[in-house]
Amino acid sequence: MNYTVKTKIMRAFIYFILVILLLMCVVPLWILLVNATRSTPEIQQGVSLLPSKNLLVNWRNLTNRGFNIWRGFFNSALISVLVTVITVYFSMMFAYAIHVYDFASKKFLYSFIILLVMVPTQVAIIGFYKYMSILNLLNSYIPLIVPAIAAPSSIFFAIQYLESTIVKELIEAARIDGCSELTIFHKIMLPIAKPGAVTMGIFAFVGSWNNFFTPFVLISKMEKYTLPMLVQTLRGDVYRTEYGSIYLGLAVSIIPILIVYILFSRYIVNGIAMGSVKE
Amino acid sequence: MEQVLKKKKHSRINKNHYGYIFTAPFIIGFLLFSLYPLVYTFYLSLTDMTLMSKSYKFIGLANFKKLFEDRFFIQSFLNTWKIWLINFIPQLGIAMLLAVWFTSTRLKIKFVGFWRTIYYLPNILMPATIAVLFFNLFSYYGPVNQIGVRIGLFKDAIDFFRSSTWTVGIVAFIQWWMWFGTTLIIIMAGMTSISPSFYESAMVDGANSWQMFTKITLPLLRPVLVYILVTSLVGGMQMFDIPYMLTDGRGSPNGSIMTMNILMYMKFSSNKGHIGAAASVGVMIFLVTCISALIIIKLLKEKESKREIKSINRGVKAYELHG
Repeated sequence: MNYTVKTKIMRAFIYFILVILLLMCVVPLWILLVNATRSTPEIQQGVSLLPSKNLLVNWRNLTNRGFNIWRGFFNSALISVLVTVITVYFSMMFAYAIHVYDFASKKFLYSFIILLVMVPTQVAIIGFYKYMSILNLLNSYIPLIVPAIAAPSSIFFAIQYLESTIVKELIEAARIDGCSELTIFHKIMLPIAKPGAVTMGIFAFVGSWNNFFTPFVLISKMEKYTLPMLVQTLRGDVYRTEYGSIYLGLAVSIIPILIVYILFSRYIVNGIAMGSVKE
Repeated sequence: MEQVLKKKKHSRINKNHYGYIFTAPFIIGFLLFSLYPLVYTFYLSLTDMTLMSKSYKFIGLANFKKLFEDRFFIQSFLNTWKIWLINFIPQLGIAMLLAVWFTSTRLKIKFVGFWRTIYYLPNILMPATIAVLFFNLFSYYGPVNQIGVRIGLFKDAIDFFRSSTWTVGIVAFIQWWMWFGTTLIIIMAGMTSISPSFYESAMVDGANSWQMFTKITLPLLRPVLVYILVTSLVGGMQMFDIPYMLTDGRGSPNGSIMTMNILMYMKFSSNKGHIGAAASVGVMIFLVTCISALIIIKLLKEKESKREIKSINRGVKAYELHG
């Protein structure tokens, strides 16, 4: 009796904490979305959890001052989609090779990938910048897209995922039927590994979509700005007191990601666990 | 049967050179876009190159000598560690607590999937958006002051971004807010992969839940904890987006949130564009991160092997006594 009462009190306390943490995660975003529909005087008067009717005015104010949100959207989408395709394809290919073929440097490559997951990469940005300027690739998207060929954390995920997915008998059978190795990878492996590819793709997409530092260093032309770079300009003097418009700009930048999250949250949450070291 | 196995092995051997072909794109990409820029950054850190002048010369370790005499660098080093520790310790603690609650068979917490999904949400949002959002939430006329004053939490509105203490706290809070969900999910994955039979036999032996946590969960979770610690450290040492965009991009107020990465960017984007000096900061971040990560891995591994040796010794002794 005493034991169950204790458990019940404990449980109530835990749910209380869980709700507080939930509010901490959700309320800032809710305020953001609501304030996007309110006028500046309304926002200055106080906090409200209900939307108002100022959305259109805010939108006009936002887009009137050189904040070309559609351009930013298009630029970010273009880069992120290409990064996603390249990352998923080449990471799967690498992981496939590790699992299917016996070759001399296999063990070395595998440990090397684990090492690379733990190495800081942003610190090489100065060398990367100078190198790209020599190649005349500043203000180009190539340096933002092509390096996705070598994405250690995606490869690590792919290796973990394929470990339980590859059916060696199927590969053998396809070989007997005369399929080339690349055909086997395309026609048998990729379709089987689709759920893993989706998870990897989401992470690659979100990572690229949210990336601020690399494009910020490499790109200086306004019309080439990615979405995070545009969002950053919302902190500047142009919108000093247009709070409603600032919130609207922020809301527009996160709504696509929120939609992706609502649709794919199960893939994402399970994917994090798979992409980490367990043993 | 043996013949079949042999045949199988044979048919695979002649395809094994595809291992090199399929891993070649990564290797080439890695050499061109990761390794070369890193080596080049090391090289640049030994020169006095600027963006403005065409010529430059090799100056040895002069950039590093200057860095160690530069109080801004020392400050940025301390700031980076401070912000990382203030966010990481509660992050690990809360994630661990939540993971224990969620996996407890006694408590039977409901909707675990739902809670985890909500707690992970802040992590996928754009850091740029989060920084500008929190700048507005904590601004002088912003919602935090509005609510705080109304419910009597503070007497007057606080100018958060003029106080170093508050600003450091806010940055650490944002980092915590963005990452505790991820840490929770990884720890839970580690906990659920521990075999329940350990707990069952401990329960038979009359262990309480604290003993089970310290004697079974923590030791078996060690690889997961090392992973979390190292990846968080690598991210934390390179912290840039949030502190850069939260205030003026120079770590104001009083340089309290100027991280090493911000200092690197400041040197790079200064009027003269000190490429060499900026590269030397990058090299220092690289070295600090790698050395700290190695120390963490070594410390946590050594403990393990020592304990193993002890238990082996004990086993040997017991055997000798017995014999």
